[in-house]
Amino acid sequence: MEALAFKDDISGSGAAAAANSLQLIAFSIGEQTYGVEITTVREIRAWNGATPLPNTREFVRGVINLRGTIVPIFDLRARFGEGQTSPTKNHVVVVMSVGEKWVGILVDAVSDILTVSKDEIHNVPEGNSVDTELLNGIVTHDSRMVGLIDLHAVVSGAKVDA
Amino acid sequence: MRVLTVDDSRTILAMLHHTLSNAGFEVLQAEDGQKGLDVLKNESVDVVITDINMPVMDGIEFIKHVRSSGLYNSLPILILTTETSQDKRDQGRAAGGTGWIVKPFDPEKLISVIHRVVH
Amino acid sequence: MSDLDDFKATYFDECSELLNELEEQFATIEAGDHSSNRLNAVFRAIHSIKGGGGAFGFADLVGFAHAYETLLDHVRDGRVELSEHVIALCIRANDIVADFVNAAKEGVALEPGFGADEKAQFDALTSGNDPDLAGAPMDEFDIDFVPVMVHLQGTDDEDDAMPAAAVADPLVDSFEAPPMAKESGRWLIRFAPHSELYARANDPLLLFRELASLGQVEIRAILDEIPALADFEPFGVYCVWEITLVSSTVTEAAIAEVFEFVDGNCDLTIGPAEATPQVAEASIMPSLTELADLAAPSQPARLEEPEDGTNVLSFADLAETLKPALKVAPPRLPPPLKSIAPVEDHDGEGSGRAGAEDRRNGVQSIRVDLDKIDRVVNMVGELVITQSMLTQQMDETLRAHYQELVRGLEVLAQTTRGLQDSVMAIRAQPVKTVFSRMPRLVRELASKTGKKIRLETIGENTEIDKTIIEQLSDPLTHMIRNSADHGIEQPERRTAAGKSEAGVIRLSAEQAGGNILIAVEDDGGGINRERVLQVARDRGVVGPEQMLTDEQIDQLIFAPGFSTAAEVSDISGRGVGMDVVLSNIKKIGGSVHVKSWTGKGTRMTLRLPLTLAVLDVMLVKVAGSPYVIPLSSIVETIQCARANFSRMPTGGQVLQVRGEYVQVVDLAQRFAMDTDVDRDSRFVVLCEAEGGVKVALVVDDIIGQQQVVIKSLEENFQSIEGIAGGTILGDGNVALIVDVQGLKSASNARNKAA
Repeated sequence: MEALAFKDDISGSGAAAAANSLQLIAFSIGEQTYGVEITTVREIRAWNGATPLPNTREFVRGVINLRGTIVPIFDLRARFGEGQTSPTKNHVVVVMSVGEKWVGILVDAVSDILTVSKDEIHNVPEGNSVDTELLNGIVTHDSRMVGLIDLHAVVSGAKVDA
Repeated sequence: MRVLTVDDSRTILAMLHHTLSNAGFEVLQAEDGQKGLDVLKNESVDVVITDINMPVMDGIEFIKHVRSSGLYNSLPILILTTETSQDKRDQGRAAGGTGWIVKPFDPEKLISVIHRVVH
Repeated sequence: MSDLDDFKATYFDECSELLNELEEQFATIEAGDHSSNRLNAVFRAIHSIKGGGGAFGFADLVGFAHAYETLLDHVRDGRVELSEHVIALCIRANDIVADFVNAAKEGVALEPGFGADEKAQFDALTSGNDPDLAGAPMDEFDIDFVPVMVHLQGTDDEDDAMPAAAVADPLVDSFEAPPMAKESGRWLIRFAPHSELYARANDPLLLFRELASLGQVEIRAILDEIPALADFEPFGVYCVWEITLVSSTVTEAAIAEVFEFVDGNCDLTIGPAEATPQVAEASIMPSLTELADLAAPSQPARLEEPEDGTNVLSFADLAETLKPALKVAPPRLPPPLKSIAPVEDHDGEGSGRAGAEDRRNGVQSIRVDLDKIDRVVNMVGELVITQSMLTQQMDETLRAHYQELVRGLEVLAQTTRGLQDSVMAIRAQPVKTVFSRMPRLVRELASKTGKKIRLETIGENTEIDKTIIEQLSDPLTHMIRNSADHGIEQPERRTAAGKSEAGVIRLSAEQAGGNILIAVEDDGGGINRERVLQVARDRGVVGPEQMLTDEQIDQLIFAPGFSTAAEVSDISGRGVGMDVVLSNIKKIGGSVHVKSWTGKGTRMTLRLPLTLAVLDVMLVKVAGSPYVIPLSSIVETIQCARANFSRMPTGGQVLQVRGEYVQVVDLAQRFAMDTDVDRDSRFVVLCEAEGGVKVALVVDDIIGQQQVVIKSLEENFQSIEGIAGGTILGDGNVALIVDVQGLKSASNARNKAA
């Protein structure tokens, strides 16, 4: 059984304990909790400023130097249309890979590592356009609602249209 | 078993390397006769496969040098050649070549020819 | 099958190098150097192309290359004279070979009969000299070049161990001739090796082993010839062998093939044997046991002492014993450095080693994956940054307290710089690799336009970063096309103008400081300024009122959207003009300049950075963020308080510099960032974009100059208008690189739109 679970894990389901579960890194923006699959996360680091990029939308906070590579930072709060974060040293950048690219997401704090069952993931209810656009689904954990971030959607549309 | 391959064509060297290493040989490479001699100075090999037409030092000269040094009289040297006219092959043998392989070579044939001249 | 693809990739790589080499060699041969070195090099190049092509079954390519090679062989040994006609034919043949290689690479078929004319000419030239051989090489060749595809599964393990099995297999060697042996299938082979056989490292034991794989073998050593000890030559050969081979299937040809490599180095008779096995002398026993012992030391016990002095040893048994030992190296044999075979010789002079020693100092080289070098380049870049960061941290107090540390840092800085230079040198390549493609282009252009054009190349050994070289081919092609199409005149016009009939295009490269200058010059009619200006006005590139100097008009040929009707048809019908040259060169951080003399010619100069990896920049601040501007584009800096701004009627701002009005771009505004810096304390950075057009960038502050390593924004994000990339500063922060040309064109577009 163990071998099976392991096999499943390397096949990309991201489950360590059981074939049908998912491990998430959960982080908070204000009262809200969001999560991304743990396998996409490369690194978590404290906010240490970023060089602003001209002619980009407000949710692009700029670029940072990650061991010699330039990585863009997206302000998740601003991305959800709730205004730019005023970051302090206590804010956190979660660096993850989206396809071939590495991007950083600015969040208030990283709260937990969650294991959820795939069966528990629900579709995002129609209505709130930003949520439907940016979330893959929602899941309830310990009576908290966790929004699963669609990274591809978050990083799209970064440039100001000419 | 170690084979020294000497050819100015990277393609041929690569194909020899592939075929020989698949057959369990350790393969050393040199791009011309002079470099082949340099390898022999520092490495001990069981058999040499050499091209004839090469810059700097051609295969005939190379074989002559190897044999005249007196150190490698029992080292089998196979001449790799596309020459069909036979005179290059004969020159190679006269210089001390043990046998020959005709390019383009068939992998099985190559291995069997090597076993024909090596213990 | 990816292995095969790898081999092919290697082959095509090699072909392109060899074709370049051919181009170079013939340039020299054409200039009169007919030395045998050149001819040998040319022969080898074609020979290698043919050899590899044969391995992949590129029959057309191989067929043509073979005929060409035959001609070259005749030229090499003087049977065919290297006349101008033959040289011209060879140069054409090189192009054809290149086309064949290309067709093979792309997997497309060339029209039937492609190159047939030239091939017929080769055959005529070679057969004319040697009627006996007419057609003969081709016949032989057809047999030899049946394409043998590479077997990529690796050879069968079992067969490896017993390689001679292939020879024994009747399916493999099914000779037409019926076996000539008597009903019993019993052969008698008499084999008397000469000393040459041993001198060439052939070994009777191996031959016996191979024979043993054909059938049951009995081997007798005939030692009658052994002289008395006093007459015994240590390296003499006194032993003759008689072998009886029993096999119902084996043929004489198959037996003869075993002795193929020793043909002429031994006396060999093969014939049917009597049915009764012969009895050999007792004296052979010790030597045979020794032999077996030597060959199969791991299992000596298997060989039983034959009873009552019978001297027949079954070699089938011996071969059986040997089998398992074949795959590993024979443990008991001394390394091949020492002679174990009885050899007489030493061909006279023992000068071989000394000669080898002398030749040793040739340039040694290895091939390295470019990715690996790039990784090193990148890391060295990081090292440079870390080093400069450390140096910046050293304030006066630290300096006073830690002198050793300071000295150490100075050494570090020096070493780092040395390391950086060395790494850059690894990436450098001579421009020859791209220059050598141009002669063919010029030949084609000459024949297409009916003009006479000679190409001269100068400084082709000038080295420049490999990435830049790769980007040079297209721009140079365009520039040379332009010179051939628009620069060089038709022969009659040239004669009328008192010039030589043949026009000259000179392609040159030289290093000038931190730049490489590459120039394409022609001795043609120069730029027709009236026509250029007219076209530019017609296309709206230049306003109807705008007055331009001659130099400005010349630069117009690089303007986007400027492309004369003639060019549309000329350049592959794509309507691509010289603006492509500009944008390509700009991409690699270079600039283009053109100068023309009416009636005398035109010179286009590319100014290129030595390397792409490091950029000299000026560090500035805009709205609190760091930006860098390439030093190569900066003309001067002016404090805003002293700058002479004026307002255009349209509202745009211009700067007056030495009587010239220059468009002003406020970076803070342009980049939509707030800045609260007092206007007068800001700075103007006057930059020159391509074509000599200036633009004045307004920044908040100037920090200083430094070298930076260029980083891509696109790697993890996307490109941004007005930004050429990013870089990492000594403090670890990211600075953006200002794209001067991009800002300039973008503001032009804006002005037009407004």
